[in-house]
Amino acid sequence: MIAEILEAVFILLTVLMIAYLGRHYIFTLTVLKNSRKREKFVTKEKLALAYQPSVTILIPARDEERVIGRILQRITELTYPKDKMQIIVIDDASADNTGKIAEEYSKLHNYIQIIHRSKEEGGKGKAAALNAGVMHANGEIIFCFDADYYPQKDILEKLTKEFVDPKVGAVQGRVIVLNEPQNMVTRLVALERIGGYRVDQKARDNLGLITQFGGTVGGFRHSLIECLGGWNESILAEDTDLTFRVYLAGYRISYVYDAECYEEAVENWHAYWKQRYRWAKGHMQCAFKHLFKVLKSNNLTLKEKIDGLLLLNVYFMPILVLLSYIVGVPLLFAYHPQWVSICWAFIPISLYSFVGNFAPFFEVGIGAYLDGRTRAQWLIPLLIFTFLYNIAICTKALTDLIMSKIIGKNGNNWAKTLHSGNGNIYITN
Amino acid sequence: MKYEKFFKLLEIASRLFLYINNRLGERRVWMKRSDCVVFGFSFMGIVFCMLLSFLFINRESTFTLVIFDLLFVSLTFPLDGKLIYKACLLLMGNILGSFWNYLFSSFSSVGTYYLGDFFNALCTFISPFANLVWIVSFWSMSLTLLANSKKEGETKI
Repeated sequence: MIAEILEAVFILLTVLMIAYLGRHYIFTLTVLKNSRKREKFVTKEKLALAYQPSVTILIPARDEERVIGRILQRITELTYPKDKMQIIVIDDASADNTGKIAEEYSKLHNYIQIIHRSKEEGGKGKAAALNAGVMHANGEIIFCFDADYYPQKDILEKLTKEFVDPKVGAVQGRVIVLNEPQNMVTRLVALERIGGYRVDQKARDNLGLITQFGGTVGGFRHSLIECLGGWNESILAEDTDLTFRVYLAGYRISYVYDAECYEEAVENWHAYWKQRYRWAKGHMQCAFKHLFKVLKSNNLTLKEKIDGLLLLNVYFMPILVLLSYIVGVPLLFAYHPQWVSICWAFIPISLYSFVGNFAPFFEVGIGAYLDGRTRAQWLIPLLIFTFLYNIAICTKALTDLIMSKIIGKNGNNWAKTLHSGNGNIYITN
Repeated sequence: MKYEKFFKLLEIASRLFLYINNRLGERRVWMKRSDCVVFGFSFMGIVFCMLLSFLFINRESTFTLVIFDLLFVSLTFPLDGKLIYKACLLLMGNILGSFWNYLFSSFSSVGTYYLGDFFNALCTFISPFANLVWIVSFWSMSLTLLANSKKEGETKI
């Protein structure tokens, strides 16, 4: 009886691993195929010449004195017409000089506004800060950029052109790590980003699946964000939540991979833990919230539903890989079913299907190859450490989430990622 | 004339490689006779490695080699770089994989003999990680070599 249960569990886990492996394999093949074709943006670009809507850029900032000046300076250098731009810096109860630095820019440029949030109002997370910003926004399109980001000069033109299509409710640009050479953590995060943005997001966009809004370097139609009621403050992954709400509302998110923006990645394992723990827990909250809505939705196609389900459950997979180990070993020794040893061989490949940003080694490798990142490819084997780390992170996130459900206490403490401003030395324009 | 059948077999194997490459890479590549011979040897070498691992190591290692080959052929063959180069890399990967698994299974057998079944369980537990080490390392090394060969090609032009 025990053997049968273990076998059934192991079969289920293997099927899930193969499903994710197949998904990433299809993504990688799609990007490889499309890398040889010329993108057909000509019509869209022609239309975009006539379409330059008013835009609002929201920059939530809490204790970001080391980086806020850098992004505001860059914003002043953007090529988008300044008379159509509104910049709103949300100083989220900062204890440092973030507000003062932003005020200085505001005095010099009349399109930059500052919202100061008091200690009572602020510190409740990014979603709350963004909602405060939306109330003052008057642009047709609302963009969000984190304070540690550094966009390309023509990024708004590249992103806004997607809104020519009325079905597009939101856009997402590409995130590249700015401080990659700093240390091993930043290098590994950079590889995860390559897998995620060069291959994963691009393939999802090409295949018409669920393109994920990453919380930054993206924008929404103002009307849509108001209809949806803004960002959800009770979920830690407010970006994933919004992604699904956009799709469930019948719109889609377009990914513009040549709209590049540079981020300052976390610099040590402790910061990595805090950031990924927030992502994992938030993603799991989204899975519980949207799973059945995705299945029932009439606005999603079958392939969008399948991809949506896989995307929602991606942070459970490191835990399930661990579980497959725990189940597989007694099966191999105590009961010796013939097929278990064959399934066991799948695990080394599957292990890498859930590494870091949940892109398997071949996806990261092909992404790095297409980006011409020859040296970075040598570090791919080291991604196993981030994977092992992610097993612990995701297990802790799930345990905490279950405990908070049992106790009935909301444990949504927004762990702020601190930025050192070390990325400044890598900016050469 | 004596070896005509042998060369015919090599040519068939090489055409198989060429077909996969052309299908995936969407470009026509024509090969010289000498390249056909290298391809044929690579193909036969890969089959030989799989047979060896199936007969003398275990099914798990054979299956790992099959997965590696499928991933390698479908994902690196469409990349830029000489086809013959990729086939040789694939053969090297298979040799490395077979050798690695042979060493690991010998280590496991010897350890189990002296330390008991616990060591066997431990080896089974770490075998996916052990396989992962060679697969991922070889994969990333191959991509780097292919990227470098592409750069060299561009410089010559």
